[in-house]
Amino acid sequence: MYEFTTLGWLRHVIFHPLEGFEDLRWKKRGSIGLSLIIVVLLFVAMVVDRQLKGFAFNTAYVKVFNVVPLIVQSFVYFFVWVIGNWAVCTLFDGEGTLKNICIYSAYAIVPYIFGVYLATFISNFLILDEAIWVNFISYIGLGWSVILMIQAMKAVHQYSLFKTILSILGTLIAMLLILFLAVLLLSLFQQVYVFIYSLYTEIAYRIRG
Amino acid sequence: MVSKMLKRLIGIATAVATISTMAVTAFADEPYDTYSYDNWDDPIPSQAGYMVERTWMGHDLGLDKLSDPDSKFFISKSESPNLNAAADMYIEDSTRTIWVADTGNNRILCFNEDFVLKGCYKTIDGAEKSNFAAPRGLFVEVDKNGDTILYVADTENSRAVKLKVTGALTCELQQDFLKPTSQAYSAEAFSPSKVIVDKEGNVYLVATTVNTGALRYDKNGEFKGYFGANRVQQTAEVIARKVWRIFASEEQLQAMATTVPTEFHNFDMDEDGFIYTVTESVNADTDAVKKLNPAGYNIWNNAKGNEYHFGDIARDYDEGVAKKTKLTDIVVGDNDVFNVLDYESGRVFQYDKNADLLFIFGTKSQPSEQEGSFTSPNAVETLGTKVYVLDGLKNDITVFDETVFGKYVHEASVLNVEGKYTEAKPIWEEVMKRDGGYTMAHIALGKACLNAGEYKQAMKYFKTAYDQENYDKAYEYYRDEFLREHFEVIVIGLVVFFILVAVYSHLKKKKIIWSITECLAFVLYKISGAFKSLMRR
Repeated sequence: MYEFTTLGWLRHVIFHPLEGFEDLRWKKRGSIGLSLIIVVLLFVAMVVDRQLKGFAFNTAYVKVFNVVPLIVQSFVYFFVWVIGNWAVCTLFDGEGTLKNICIYSAYAIVPYIFGVYLATFISNFLILDEAIWVNFISYIGLGWSVILMIQAMKAVHQYSLFKTILSILGTLIAMLLILFLAVLLLSLFQQVYVFIYSLYTEIAYRIRG
Repeated sequence: MVSKMLKRLIGIATAVATISTMAVTAFADEPYDTYSYDNWDDPIPSQAGYMVERTWMGHDLGLDKLSDPDSKFFISKSESPNLNAAADMYIEDSTRTIWVADTGNNRILCFNEDFVLKGCYKTIDGAEKSNFAAPRGLFVEVDKNGDTILYVADTENSRAVKLKVTGALTCELQQDFLKPTSQAYSAEAFSPSKVIVDKEGNVYLVATTVNTGALRYDKNGEFKGYFGANRVQQTAEVIARKVWRIFASEEQLQAMATTVPTEFHNFDMDEDGFIYTVTESVNADTDAVKKLNPAGYNIWNNAKGNEYHFGDIARDYDEGVAKKTKLTDIVVGDNDVFNVLDYESGRVFQYDKNADLLFIFGTKSQPSEQEGSFTSPNAVETLGTKVYVLDGLKNDITVFDETVFGKYVHEASVLNVEGKYTEAKPIWEEVMKRDGGYTMAHIALGKACLNAGEYKQAMKYFKTAYDQENYDKAYEYYRDEFLREHFEVIVIGLVVFFILVAVYSHLKKKKIIWSITECLAFVLYKISGAFKSLMRR
């Protein structure tokens, strides 16, 4: 039983939150390519949410479009999540490999991405009095994804529910640490760059006399 | 020979170029930046709504007559021919007279609207203390008998007085308002600095360092209580202190500084009896400008979020300067258009009745010798189309008059406030010709279109102005109209769609056709096959 295509497997895990990821693990059918496509779609969803929301619904400062925060919101957060989770769970008897964590996490956020697209789409046809529908859809998508994410982490590491939730909290802390260190590193390199640049200008002045 | 001529030609050309550029730079522009705020609260350059008409110094005002024995205004040889640290100005509308509290010279001056001296008051007949001491506020009204009644906040004499004007140089005491003896007044000193009077003759005094609101007296000089205190601004410090209070011991509580609201500095009253107040304390956002009804309730209390902004929001026009506002005076003019004077930036902010920004003019950053630039702007007044600003350090009065652009905006905004969008439309179009970035014009034109039922056009205007709420309203109507007009098409479309779905699922169940993906794959396969055979040929 359970002979699906790759997309079929995606559908199966989304609509079977209780045992879908276990099945996926059993059959070893997750696709890393598809999960990367999903992450790209997450990024596109962030852009779409910011730029294509119905005019009355859009609270973003549309005068300036800066893609960097959107990249951080999608790619950076996702991969930091994956790495953080892997780092935490390898220490606590998690069975997931980096590749599997990436695949399962990506599959789990599909309802959220879909919710963003759908909410953005219908916000173009609704008025502010009906904003509850937009919120409803995006919250459903988010809640669904949270449930899937817990199930995915549970399946990929073969944890109990309690341990899964603990590991997720641990992952969030690990993400904060990673991001903090990354910012620190960036600013250090910035200073090194400034130092080298000022050395260069100094030498350039001397040479010119 | 040729080269000589060429040189000469070039010389002439350069000279002409220089002169023409000089002419451009020498053009007398306003010394201030004219801008307004868009719906993002970003400053955007705008046309000037007001231009300086002229400034009036002591000599222009004819103050040398006061020390000229031949003049009927002669007081004494030593009377100063200049203003000195004048703190307040008041314009009485019905007689069109301009009154100035010349604080440093301890006198009250009266002019007609062309700044011809009409009177000077130094002494009070029938009062114990017959001289003024640094009068910092005044209010004038004409009573039923046609007498001019002058109220003066006589700051350093710790009193306010009600005077009847009996001549060009004489006035008579009618009532004085002294430090309240009531328990409710706890401050040591009593220095009233501003005064206004309502229609019933109740007198409101702003006293420095009293933060419980304006002191209200009845017409017999009896203290009746306070009116319209400010709230405490919720800064991080205040909130932290509130949290501390929960844990602090009795001794700690006593040692702790108390959070008190800042007092309002100045006020004015409109024709309906609403009192407008401004708070001068630096950067006060809470209750910076209030419109109080007679019960002391603030209409602009921002209860629904930050709807009302007053003064400068961003600082794009003062580079390198920390954001500071000290709103020092407010005046309500015709049609409830009101002007707020910012002491810190020297700007006058003009708002319409709905507290929407119309114009910003005046400055402090330019050389103060220039007209329209101030050093110590103390008071703002308005009469008709003109706005007057009193400078207490330059000792002059600057008169601003509205430009053509200003005239159009005023006319249109009055119609707008009354809801006559259609009537306002041609005027707003004139405004748009002069300043296509004027946000209010776009919104008003959008509203006119909305009234006329041109929803699509209205949406376009609101979108340009980035007015989301009004856009939403227009879109609601547009959508209703669209659904109504295309009702049949939509219903038929839906019915056809559901029939198709039903037929499809029925056929699929019977295994007559494949699933959609298989169908698509089959069609794609066929197309690619046909394409390949085409290529082969």
